[in-house]
Amino acid sequence: MPDTAHEQPQQRQFYPYTENGGTILAIAGADFTVIAGDTRQSEGYSIQTRYAPKVFRLTERAVLAVNGFAADGNMFVKKVKQRLEWYRHAHAKEMPLRAIARLIQTMLYAQRFFPYYVNNILGGIEEDGSGAVYSFDPVGSYEREACRAAGAASSLVQPFLDNQIYFKNQTPAPGTPHPTYLPLPDVLAIVIDSFTSATERHIEVGDGLEMYVVLAKGRSIEELADVAGVQELTTRADGDRMFVIQRELKKD
Amino acid sequence: MSIMEYNGGSVIAMVGKDCVAIASDLRLGNQALGIASDFEKIFPMTDRVYLGLPGLATDVTTLREQFRYRLNMYTIKEEREIEPETFAHLVSSTLYERRFGPYFIEPVMAGLQRLPNGGYKPFIAATDLIGCINFAKDFVVAGTASSKLFGVAEGLWEPDLEPEDLFETIAQTLLNAVDRDAYSGWGAVVHVITKDKAIKRVLKGRMD
Amino acid sequence: MDISFALTGKGYVIVAADTTAARSIVKMKTDEDKIKVLSPHLLMAFSGEPGDTLQFAEYVERNIRLYQIRNTYALRPPSAASWIRRSLADSLRSRRPYAVNLLIGGYDTSTSTPHLYWVDYLGTLSPVPFGAHGYGSYFGLSLLDRYHDPEATLEEGLDTLRRCIDEVSKRLVVSPGKYKVKIVDKDGVREIEL
Repeated sequence: MPDTAHEQPQQRQFYPYTENGGTILAIAGADFTVIAGDTRQSEGYSIQTRYAPKVFRLTERAVLAVNGFAADGNMFVKKVKQRLEWYRHAHAKEMPLRAIARLIQTMLYAQRFFPYYVNNILGGIEEDGSGAVYSFDPVGSYEREACRAAGAASSLVQPFLDNQIYFKNQTPAPGTPHPTYLPLPDVLAIVIDSFTSATERHIEVGDGLEMYVVLAKGRSIEELADVAGVQELTTRADGDRMFVIQRELKKD
Repeated sequence: MSIMEYNGGSVIAMVGKDCVAIASDLRLGNQALGIASDFEKIFPMTDRVYLGLPGLATDVTTLREQFRYRLNMYTIKEEREIEPETFAHLVSSTLYERRFGPYFIEPVMAGLQRLPNGGYKPFIAATDLIGCINFAKDFVVAGTASSKLFGVAEGLWEPDLEPEDLFETIAQTLLNAVDRDAYSGWGAVVHVITKDKAIKRVLKGRMD
Repeated sequence: MDISFALTGKGYVIVAADTTAARSIVKMKTDEDKIKVLSPHLLMAFSGEPGDTLQFAEYVERNIRLYQIRNTYALRPPSAASWIRRSLADSLRSRRPYAVNLLIGGYDTSTSTPHLYWVDYLGTLSPVPFGAHGYGSYFGLSLLDRYHDPEATLEEGLDTLRRCIDEVSKRLVVSPGKYKVKIVDKDGVREIEL
């Protein structure tokens, strides 16, 4: 008979969450929005995959970036897409961006006491044709902004964006006020610089960069013409146009 | 409650073309409560060597006094001023002396190293709280806003900046980083060191 | 629970501390003097762990006096504050550290300037235009931010102090009843009734 006298009381617990690293970022222009994320997925010091998308096309004019616990993120995107499909069937049109934002809030808050462990950033084109970014906390608190970084390297990227997008701590020369929105090439350059910096200094960021660009209806695509690695995702000829730019992030 | 975050504060140093810059915020706090907005953490050790001491405020003062003493002894014995690289090792060994009961400071150094040909070479370094030296070629950061400083500096810094451009780069890096850190801010100070002069500028920043 | 305030003005420093000595929920004494007169032009309000406070304050008092006897002149405020800070900083890494917070107010007779130092039990020292320790800091510092004037006359300075004390009385759940107020200026140290 086994001797059980020395056995210590055991405690078991199941922790249903983990963090999978990575960073996402979105910047709105006057008539476009860029939504970006790296593609590394990790747990602790282990890289699970070098290509796990965090940025998803929801509609013709809406893109959702999800960062945090990947399993929750993927499930959440799946459920948002399902709700958008139901909306299409019920109303025979795509859900507008601001409505998607409110939908995401209710879906997140519905899980108030067992939250999706994710930070969401929704980007796209509003009904009035303006570029928009909505950022959410894990339980649905949200806000429309011009730019937002979230995820593992958000503390590295956000102050950089404050400086480069909002021109914080910069004084304009008299008579030349700071622009409210930046042109697309400048925004793309800032996004690439942000991820290059984050890759350099944060171990959970790297491998690949996916930048979704949503252009308002009728807007020129000239600025994307000579960008390397562009692929068009537009499905309807008469609406807003969507592109994805894929890049490698530096490996050293 | 982390001891390193008890008083708040951050320091950064950058290399430029024949110049270096070192900058810090001016906040002294007790956790969330602000105590003073004129608490300097950067001290000139010689005309060409500056030392930043972010971390626990009591150790800022203690180490400043300690380094003043050790530097005076060095100058008397050697009959010359200390070089930045030598000073970095002095800092390192002073901290390692307290390996198992450390000073809660992560020093940042910036200076110009005298060369055999009479010229000067920019030098920056930082150590952890027990004196492990990081000789960086571009920039070093420390303090409660360190992750933010890393992010902005990595985006703004470029090689071979002239003194005025280096000042602008380090000032923007610091201000935008501390504005996202609750424990740092309340004003800032920047030192730019060139071979024939060291300029100190006190910056206006957000006071919230 | 100790509350202390101090502020500088034109040629003076006001130091105030409550006079309650409490143990648990009981007020043991209501006329305790928590401001030491260290030298003819130096005041020190102390608060913190009962026992440590008086022990440390007396240790400081005697050493400052010893310096004066040995050298025939008293330490000036910056030097005295520096020495006191070092005592606390060394104590912090000793076997049994003192848990004492201080406000050191002094008048430098050789430069004719008032000095005030905020010092905590860790040995953190900061020269300040005004300072506070204890729960008073949460009420007093914002008032002092608004009303303090380094060029204020003594009467204006005392008015500002009154605002702080009144606010503590109004808003703090267990506010002390009485305060001792001492002033140091070119004529030395004196105690006043608010």
